[in-house]
Amino acid sequence: MDSLDALVAQVQGFSGTDDLLHLFSLLKQSDELLHTHAPRLQYALSSLDPAKHSLGYLYLLEVQSSGTLSQEQSENFLALASTFLNVCIAEQICLAPEKFNMVCRRVKEQALQLQEPLRAILPLQAAIRKLQPSSEFLTAMHADFLQMCLLAKCYKASLSVLEDDIFEIDQKRTGLVPRDFLLYCYYGGMIHIGLKQFGKALEFFQHAITAPATVLNAITIAAYKKFVLVSLIQLGQFHDCFVQVPLFPKYTPPVVQRNLKSCVQDYVDLATSYVTRNIADVKGYITTHEDAFKSDNNLGLARQVIASLYKRNIQRLTQTYLTLSLQDIADNVQLDGPKEAELHILQMIQDGEIFARINQKDGMVSFQEDPEQYNTSAMTMRLNLEIHNIVRLAKKLTSVDEQVSCDQVYLSKIGRDRPRYETEDFDIVPQKMYTNL
Amino acid sequence: MAIPVNGSVAGPSGLSFSAVQEAIKAGLYADLANIIDTLELEVSAAGASKPQDWPYAIQILAHVFNHDLNSARFVWKRTPDAVKQSNPELVAAWKIVQCMWMHDHAGVYAALRAYSWASDVQQVVAAVGEDYSHGMLKLLSTAYSTVSVVDAAAFLGLSENDVVTFTSQQHGWVLDPATKMLTVMPMVAAATKKTDSSQLQNLTEYVFHLEH
Repeated sequence: MDSLDALVAQVQGFSGTDDLLHLFSLLKQSDELLHTHAPRLQYALSSLDPAKHSLGYLYLLEVQSSGTLSQEQSENFLALASTFLNVCIAEQICLAPEKFNMVCRRVKEQALQLQEPLRAILPLQAAIRKLQPSSEFLTAMHADFLQMCLLAKCYKASLSVLEDDIFEIDQKRTGLVPRDFLLYCYYGGMIHIGLKQFGKALEFFQHAITAPATVLNAITIAAYKKFVLVSLIQLGQFHDCFVQVPLFPKYTPPVVQRNLKSCVQDYVDLATSYVTRNIADVKGYITTHEDAFKSDNNLGLARQVIASLYKRNIQRLTQTYLTLSLQDIADNVQLDGPKEAELHILQMIQDGEIFARINQKDGMVSFQEDPEQYNTSAMTMRLNLEIHNIVRLAKKLTSVDEQVSCDQVYLSKIGRDRPRYETEDFDIVPQKMYTNL
Repeated sequence: MAIPVNGSVAGPSGLSFSAVQEAIKAGLYADLANIIDTLELEVSAAGASKPQDWPYAIQILAHVFNHDLNSARFVWKRTPDAVKQSNPELVAAWKIVQCMWMHDHAGVYAALRAYSWASDVQQVVAAVGEDYSHGMLKLLSTAYSTVSVVDAAAFLGLSENDVVTFTSQQHGWVLDPATKMLTVMPMVAAATKKTDSSQLQNLTEYVFHLEH
């Protein structure tokens, strides 16, 4: 029996709950051994059961898939990995999140290599669920999973993961790095754009922009470009206030606040031109800067900004007039004629963005109030759902607040920053404890 | 979710589409999109390619039935060009999506009728058409106070004579023969307003939350 056979036997013998930690330390030392026997790992793997010997299987699979793979090898790896990710035992693989992340990343890479991103979607989804202690945890696979959904054009498949609210970022348990978080936000925003859920997209991009940072990075810049366009589409449409490039929230890192705008001048200028509400100006600006938008892959989104301006201008009319002729609307909004104005109005009524009735006989439109009376059981259900969500969020916030106020590092920093003797320190006893830490 | 591992997926009219056929038979068109999308992911995860008789047209139409034109569009986008060229039924289904996307109402009805669909596809097509004309009738009655007979006919996919008979008899719309305009009667949507004791339970919980 040579050393590899011995290791396989140990994996088979020690995969029970009691011996697992022992096996873990054995495996950690056998990296070199596995690499020297790399060509034989294929056979070693076939004598292990991924659903029983998950930890050992993970180590062998990781080494077996390192280096460049031929097409046949990568087919073979994907088949093994997709079974493994589906059936492996969560408690075992959670011991080695870094190894697990590496195998998952190779699933993504190999699927890309074969130009079959569709293939990696379910395996990566299974992997996320295995590594997550609960659905509130972000993992390193989230971004890869979303990227595969984008490339395979399976936007809807991503929702099962994207709809989970993320509250926990735990580097120790999930082996996550900041880049994984930024990409998760960026790809998540892109998927919401594709599904035309612009409000959600804004949220994701904002997380990318406001993430703690000490240097500006490319993902943040790309996210901010889309953020500007989406906020014109989304907020321009619903708010009548003076639309500007949204200011950064207070918790945005200073380095981002200082430098971001100068990196995206074209987009800031477009937003400035949007404020004039002049369709011709906005259209002209996008046409003259077409190359810039195109090279960022944002031209389609920029065109949707134009469409949103038509809507926004029509919405403004509803606030001034009770009735207006289709011709007047067309003139006001710079549409080609009454027929086109009618199409726009109809579309907005269908989407519930305005309330109006068109009188074709006289060529007039009468604008109305929102007929919603808030007295149906469907509306009650919606209200209940919203309240329920808010209550849940409030509870979460309280628990995070408690966690932070007990945190050693936080308390010692507060203690340091606070001048050692302030008058109130003598008055309020409990605050004394901070200065003593 | 089970992933068939060694499975090359069953060939023409194999077992894998039985869930699809059953859903069509039972008239559960709303579930179709999910069933086929999931199947698509499972087939790919197993490393197999889609079989020849993959129900492309049904997959697109199923999303249309759910009013999810975005997803229907993505199904088209991820279909390989070779399939698009060799599958006229898929192209015909895509034509429906295009017309809906452009709000070309008359075009939608024309596209629904333009192809002699296979019998199972035909059922989904019929369901899509019925749902669409129902939606258009609702839109007409909320968005218009008067509408020309020509436009109403295009929205509902009926001939001009039929549209006058249909709307006046079933919905009480009035025709002005001189201008060929219909006066639209708004639809009264029946919405339930009842509450039950579970509401009280909810309220109790909210008050509890606010006080603690």
